[in-house]
Amino acid sequence: MLYELAQSLTSGLLIGGALAVLSVGFSMAWGITHVLNVAHCAFAVLAAYLGYWALNRWGIDPLLALPIMLPAFFLLGVAMHTLLIRATARRAHDLGLATMVLTFGLGVVMENGMLLAWTPDPRVLKTAYSALTLRVGPVIVQAPHLIAFGLAVITIGALYLFAERTFMGKAVRAVWQQPMGAALSGIDLDRVTTIAYGMAVATAAVGGVAMSLLYTFDPATHLSWLVYVFLVVILGGVGSMLGSALAGLIIGLIIGISSVFIPLAWNNLVLSGLLIVLLLLRPQGLLQR
Amino acid sequence: MRRGALRSFGLPAPDALIGIGVVLALAAVPLAGPGTYLLGFLFTIFMYGALAGSWNIIGGYAGYLSFGHAAFFGLGAYTTALLLFYSGWSPFLTLPIAGALAALFAALVGYPCLRLRGPYFSLVTLILGLAMYSLTLNLPFTQGASGLFLPFLRVDIYTSHVIFYEIMLGLLTIVTAVLRQITRTKMGVGLTAIREDEDAAGTLGVNATRLKLQAFMLSAFLTGLVGGVYSYYKSYLDPSFVFATSISITIALMALFGGRLAWYGPLVGAVVLSIVNEMLTTQAPPQTARIVFGALLIIVIMFLPDGLISIIQRRLPAFVLRRAKQAAARDEIIGNR
Repeated sequence: MLYELAQSLTSGLLIGGALAVLSVGFSMAWGITHVLNVAHCAFAVLAAYLGYWALNRWGIDPLLALPIMLPAFFLLGVAMHTLLIRATARRAHDLGLATMVLTFGLGVVMENGMLLAWTPDPRVLKTAYSALTLRVGPVIVQAPHLIAFGLAVITIGALYLFAERTFMGKAVRAVWQQPMGAALSGIDLDRVTTIAYGMAVATAAVGGVAMSLLYTFDPATHLSWLVYVFLVVILGGVGSMLGSALAGLIIGLIIGISSVFIPLAWNNLVLSGLLIVLLLLRPQGLLQR
Repeated sequence: MRRGALRSFGLPAPDALIGIGVVLALAAVPLAGPGTYLLGFLFTIFMYGALAGSWNIIGGYAGYLSFGHAAFFGLGAYTTALLLFYSGWSPFLTLPIAGALAALFAALVGYPCLRLRGPYFSLVTLILGLAMYSLTLNLPFTQGASGLFLPFLRVDIYTSHVIFYEIMLGLLTIVTAVLRQITRTKMGVGLTAIREDEDAAGTLGVNATRLKLQAFMLSAFLTGLVGGVYSYYKSYLDPSFVFATSISITIALMALFGGRLAWYGPLVGAVVLSIVNEMLTTQAPPQTARIVFGALLIIVIMFLPDGLISIIQRRLPAFVLRRAKQAAARDEIIGNR
């Protein structure tokens, strides 16, 4: 029992990393651009499919395909923000609600487009390192888990450095904290939000590849991933990168622990219940002051 | 003034008279002996009209967009189906139970969730729909993913089509009447105030919490009734179908597409989109239809935030608009009293 718990805590923690990187972009987009991108995980699933495709069509490992996907997804995000979101924002009374309906529609289009392209069959990513394991004391660590966690650390670390060290990053943070003040100090709001949005979508690609290393996926998977993402973002506080990282790990641990005591089929139910309780007690996030 | 005079003689308003005429004409359609295909198609239109109308009470009037109405629809469907399956009770008699259970469930989740504003509420309802799906899949007495097979009505196929047609038409009429009535009462004014500015509404003495909960329960009750009829009509149901997110999306889309601010908006949206859907699904795979639906949702929210009826309203001749405005002003005064 104790051994089992240690095992599931370890894998839970590593899964938590993947959840964190899946969520950080959603949180960023919500915090900075006030857009609730319900299609965020549809982008992630798209990246998972592209990685799967690269491997099975051309024998390119998804991790190697990722550097090509990142700029592509960045541009996709920029295009989406410029063409769809800004046009909506011009007419909407309530930006959050309007963009949510908008991205909901986009998610439906993407999900069904992927269904047409790749059928509803669940896919399993089988890489060269899928079966590799690592022994740490009594605990067995699977290589894909470790790689997914590594992807998360690198991505969130890079985002954090970007936000702390670069001028653009500081501008992004300024817009998050006080858009009016940022505009008054000469920051181009349109440019900053568009770039932040592109980056958010690019991190969805990383999140999708990381999740595809851990779980099977099909076009409809994006909705169940959205539950995780929403849970992480609410727990970590909207817009906070480190909050997302920490909350991702916590949710991962909860998934790990609950997998020992509760049958897998009830997992989603437990998380949904948790989310509702959380929203009632602290809608502004647990880790937010 | 003429309208007011008519009313004092106990005659209903002109739009209600037209509505009654349309309902009576539709109710007489089976007398002309149309095929089962047409009856089934009209049943689908009525059903989505009733669902979109029910959704509109909370999603349109109050501005709390629910993306999880399939939870209530599925709950109603499973209630009548299980009562038929285990006790042999006719769904036509157990319908009120289906609605009441859906309303009770709405009260349970609505009490905490309606405190959440805007996108938070929408996302929680979306997740609620997914959770109900997992729950039904795993409960022992619902037979999970293999679904429930229900006995047919003990009449021939054509007669059963006619019976379901008339019942759904009745439900649609009830929903639409409720929807129209709400705009003429204090409740409608209160809900509009909540949609426009909830905090201001609170300071003006609108009991927002109670009103939202009432609207949510009423919406769930009507949705549950429709679900309760639907399971009997299909005579087979499984969780992946009645709790599908695509049902929640379709309902919300129809109301948004038609126009969620007026009582006839959801009806217009349901009719137009059902026809579009029927034309698409006979020509292409269902995914294509959903892609078109998603794209329509994007287009509507970008260019027509107030829905299709805002085009019609803008194109109406000036004197009709003026009279409509006068009538609306009068209704508002009546409603405030």
